[in-house]
Amino acid sequence: MKKKVLLMGASGSGKTSMRSLIFSNNPASLTARLGATIDVEQNHVRFLGDLILNLWDCGGQDAFMDSYLTTQRSTIFQHVGVLIYVFDVETNEMHKDLEYYRDCLDGLRQFSPEAAVFLLVHKMDLARDKGATFERKKKELQEHSEKQGQPIPSVTVFGTSIYDESLYRAWSSIVHTLIPNAAVLSKHLTIFAEACSATEVILFERTTFLVIATSSPPTSPPRETAPFQELEATRYERTSELIKAFKHSCSRVREEFHSLEMELPEFSAVLDEMTKNTYVLIIVHDPTIETAALKLNIRMARRKFEELQGLT
Amino acid sequence: MTSTYGATATSPKRTMSSTSSTKGPLRTKILLLGQRRSGKTSIKEVLFNALPPKQTFYLETTMRVVKHAYDTVIPLEIWDCPGNITVDTLGAPLSQFSALIFVIDIRDLYKQPISKLVEFIIAAYHDNPQLLVEVFVHKAEKLQEDDKIENFRQIQERVQDHLMERECEQMPYNFHLTSVYDHSLHEAFSKVLHKLVHSLPFLEDLLNVFCANSQSPKAFLFDAASRLYVATDASPVDSATHNLCCDYLSMLNAFGPLYRSPTSSTTRLRIPAAEPSPDNPTPSETKDRFYPCAAASLHPSAPGTTLTYHLITPHLALLALVPTGVYEGRRGLLEYNVVFFREGVQEICAVEHEARGG
Repeated sequence: MKKKVLLMGASGSGKTSMRSLIFSNNPASLTARLGATIDVEQNHVRFLGDLILNLWDCGGQDAFMDSYLTTQRSTIFQHVGVLIYVFDVETNEMHKDLEYYRDCLDGLRQFSPEAAVFLLVHKMDLARDKGATFERKKKELQEHSEKQGQPIPSVTVFGTSIYDESLYRAWSSIVHTLIPNAAVLSKHLTIFAEACSATEVILFERTTFLVIATSSPPTSPPRETAPFQELEATRYERTSELIKAFKHSCSRVREEFHSLEMELPEFSAVLDEMTKNTYVLIIVHDPTIETAALKLNIRMARRKFEELQGLT
Repeated sequence: MTSTYGATATSPKRTMSSTSSTKGPLRTKILLLGQRRSGKTSIKEVLFNALPPKQTFYLETTMRVVKHAYDTVIPLEIWDCPGNITVDTLGAPLSQFSALIFVIDIRDLYKQPISKLVEFIIAAYHDNPQLLVEVFVHKAEKLQEDDKIENFRQIQERVQDHLMERECEQMPYNFHLTSVYDHSLHEAFSKVLHKLVHSLPFLEDLLNVFCANSQSPKAFLFDAASRLYVATDASPVDSATHNLCCDYLSMLNAFGPLYRSPTSSTTRLRIPAAEPSPDNPTPSETKDRFYPCAAASLHPSAPGTTLTYHLITPHLALLALVPTGVYEGRRGLLEYNVVFFREGVQEICAVEHEARGG
């Protein structure tokens, strides 16, 4: 199955930077070396075996934008699964940005009315009062997404920055909408978590380390739900960010990160390969559970998860 | 081993020559000097308060001497001084200090900072000839590779010329090229720290024994929070490996609080006691304590390397590269070696603690 993802936004807003961070495992410090994107750069990213992300990184200079909206209109806006529109938070030309954005929405309504729309208010690290700035931008963008007499597309707004975990949060939720069997995966992860006496089990995609699915909080014994609710809210995206950074450190000494196990004062954790394109992280708060047992459980569950992904 | 250590601990030491008016252990003092805006406070905050390097931009100017106490293998006290301080306005004789770190901004005009550095070196030559003088040529990330080396060389030459003029050539000093944005600061400061830790040879011996018995090509004893390495085995330090260990430690430090759960932590509370008590270091007690550990495998197939992490004392962690075959096949023996190593380090720390009257 192929899903088309459009990455659009003004020139210099950070589209190619975020693509290089998420899909090419480059650190944020190297993004300054990227040049401007000319026309459309197409990428195919194999994501979870049978899902292929067809990524269209659309250069944002005015001449290109005009051509997307006129001569290339049907090519660009056909069969779109997701439109990601990037806004630079510090831009001086918000007015022009919004105009192009509204035109793109029109194109989408015409050719791919089912597409999901994600708006990223990018370079948030430069904003002064982050909370207030984001709320103001979000409101402004939502207002501009509405149009009289037209169906309102489902629009989600995120504040992002390549220097912290916010980018992983936004992208995890984007790919989540594209994964066909996310609910099934989540159900099986919950069963797996129960078998491991784990507080939580998280499934990551292998190359991007984006979160694909998580186990849902245990419901049966009420005392066990307590630690789950109190866990840090940004933990998934922070984990993605930390592991990606360490993977990059490993690649600098020509090593390849493979697996990790930790017994820390507050919890034990095992991060290991689940299938050939996913990694699983098991978090256990019960001190009597050994990491070796968790590793064994991962090995036993591997077949099932390969089946779920249609790999066998 | 402890008896030989005891002998050196009683020998006269410059670090312990100060009269401490405050309670607590005797701290080894490090003086942080340099021109205004050269990066002294940034260095202190990045290393000892875990400030992200990007945030150093927002630090305020230091107006008076700030004394920062930091406990690692030895208790340290870092004096972060304002830029305009002189030998006379310091408020303490140079003889109280064990090390002087002079920070020079690599893009600065060198005339003023160098003449100031020379003043301090000459004063130290008279008051405390054993003072370690370390010059950090800082903010190296701001220049291209060639300019960086050229400026670094120029600064060294000028300092040398000035000291020759003033007939003060015997005073030893070292130069380091540093930046808060990479690992160079950690490496340079670690080297300074090595010269201050008098128990270093014993720690190194322990590491050598550990490496030999665990087939480990490289092991570091790190201060977990600051990510400075306190000691390493006899094999040469290769920067890439050091950087990897540094990054590994920073990932583990960040992971800890991420999945912390206030309610369940009570059932899991096996954190080592604050300090190993020197009165009754009974081995049975140490065995019951929980010490965090971790391992990262760096290669999918068999002949790869595993990077292990074991907490040794509340402040220190052992990071070792171990062949994956050894880690997986003989993990029990490896853990035994770690326990043996831990007991040795804890004994050394207890003696140090006692000698300093803490």
